[in-house]
Amino acid sequence: MASVAEMYDVGWEEMRDKLRKWREDNCRNSEQIVDVGEELISDHASKLGDDIWIIYEQVMIAALDCSRDDLALTCLQELRKQFPDSHRVKRLTGMRLEALERYDEASKHYDAILQDDPTNTAARKRKISILKAQGKSTEAIRELNEYLEQFVGDQEAWHELSELYINEHDYGKAAFCLEELMMTNPHNHLYCEQYAEVKYTQGGLENLELSRKYFAQALRLNNRNMRALFGLYMSASHIAASPKVSAKVKKDNMKYAAWAATQINRAYKLAGRGTKENKCSMKAVEEMLESMQITMS
Amino acid sequence: MGEVELSCRAYVKMYLHSCLFPRCSINGLLLSSASTGGAVCVTDCVPLLHSHLSLAPITQLALTQVDVWCSQTQQRIVGYYQANACASDSSPTPCAMKIADKIAEQFDNAVLLMLDGSKMSPDYRVPPIVMYERKDSRWTLKDKHTIMLRQWEETRDIAGQMLESGDHSLLVDFDSHLDDITKDWTNQKLNNKIAELASPANGSM
Repeated sequence: MASVAEMYDVGWEEMRDKLRKWREDNCRNSEQIVDVGEELISDHASKLGDDIWIIYEQVMIAALDCSRDDLALTCLQELRKQFPDSHRVKRLTGMRLEALERYDEASKHYDAILQDDPTNTAARKRKISILKAQGKSTEAIRELNEYLEQFVGDQEAWHELSELYINEHDYGKAAFCLEELMMTNPHNHLYCEQYAEVKYTQGGLENLELSRKYFAQALRLNNRNMRALFGLYMSASHIAASPKVSAKVKKDNMKYAAWAATQINRAYKLAGRGTKENKCSMKAVEEMLESMQITMS
Repeated sequence: MGEVELSCRAYVKMYLHSCLFPRCSINGLLLSSASTGGAVCVTDCVPLLHSHLSLAPITQLALTQVDVWCSQTQQRIVGYYQANACASDSSPTPCAMKIADKIAEQFDNAVLLMLDGSKMSPDYRVPPIVMYERKDSRWTLKDKHTIMLRQWEETRDIAGQMLESGDHSLLVDFDSHLDDITKDWTNQKLNNKIAELASPANGSM
């Protein structure tokens, strides 16, 4: 089978740089990381210098994700040899136990780290991940809340908590988490848009109006966000169609909806040029927008 | 209740959808191009989401768009499928039942299909699916004998072959479509590939 280097005509430096980019962007493209990383380690280890340790870590985690315990163990053993007392490496040992579904052992492992260093956030988060993997959502939520009381600035944790709440249909609490995230990341269009979706799901006129506002905000931050555009269209349409609103509110929302519909049509026309594959989806959108307009008036 | 037949195309796309996003819960709609009466023939499926399955706006949007597409192509929505992120848990979630309820409002013999992650090993013998039907306003387990997959071994082999050759990365679900609207959630390309691999003997194309 052809090597990655042969298939993509790249040298070891490009492979190393690609791995770095994936690390920085926190991508979970584990199959690719395993392919590139495994080859880089086996063929070019001596050229990597000190980079090799962080690459071992990255490849090990990706290997666990792809059930490649052989590769994971190889990486782990190299790291253990080099950093025998490191908590960071101990965490990786725990993760391997998790991947093998030996959750009790993994949990004890993290407890040992925490005994030594009670502020070790990585170990605490792994313990919460174990609860999640075992389907113990209520406990996971409780532990994560406790964690956030202490580490209130941990963005990743807030986002994880919002996801857990969404899965449990606890939209009010999910909204609270997203509010925290929006406060600390005011330019992130994804948080605005997710918040809007949660509000829309909660339903009721007040929530619909909030959702419309936040879909609009997401669009201001990123005018290519299609979910926000559709969301704006749908929330404005629903508000306009509600019998409880004043004539002015109805008129305003019909204007927003009409604007959104134009943008959607424009986006789809642009997308349709040059490819004939998405004609079906384009036609579906056109007809949907037409039919929704009819029901509104 | 009646028999349900699952076509090769519908099964393969559901399977590839769950393989494309192994760490997420995924869902989609089951479609039929056959007329009603007798068995329900699921001839196709539309993969919908791999994130935030229980949030309303995108689900509503997708249902509306698929509905429109179906009326343009003489198909109808006859069911719903879901695979949970946690592979060992194949029970329908509240949102699965809610969406399936909505479908049942329009189609009496709607089915709810859960993919069983724990049975999707490389050489599984039986289809890793659990089907539910609506009885007395509740979703109850369907008798396995009323579920048919014609040419099962061939279907399974096609699914496996396409996974091996990385074809699952060609699959577009509604979520991916919203990330890039030039992508086609009706998956015509994939449908053609599946048709090429299936022998003419497999009638449920």
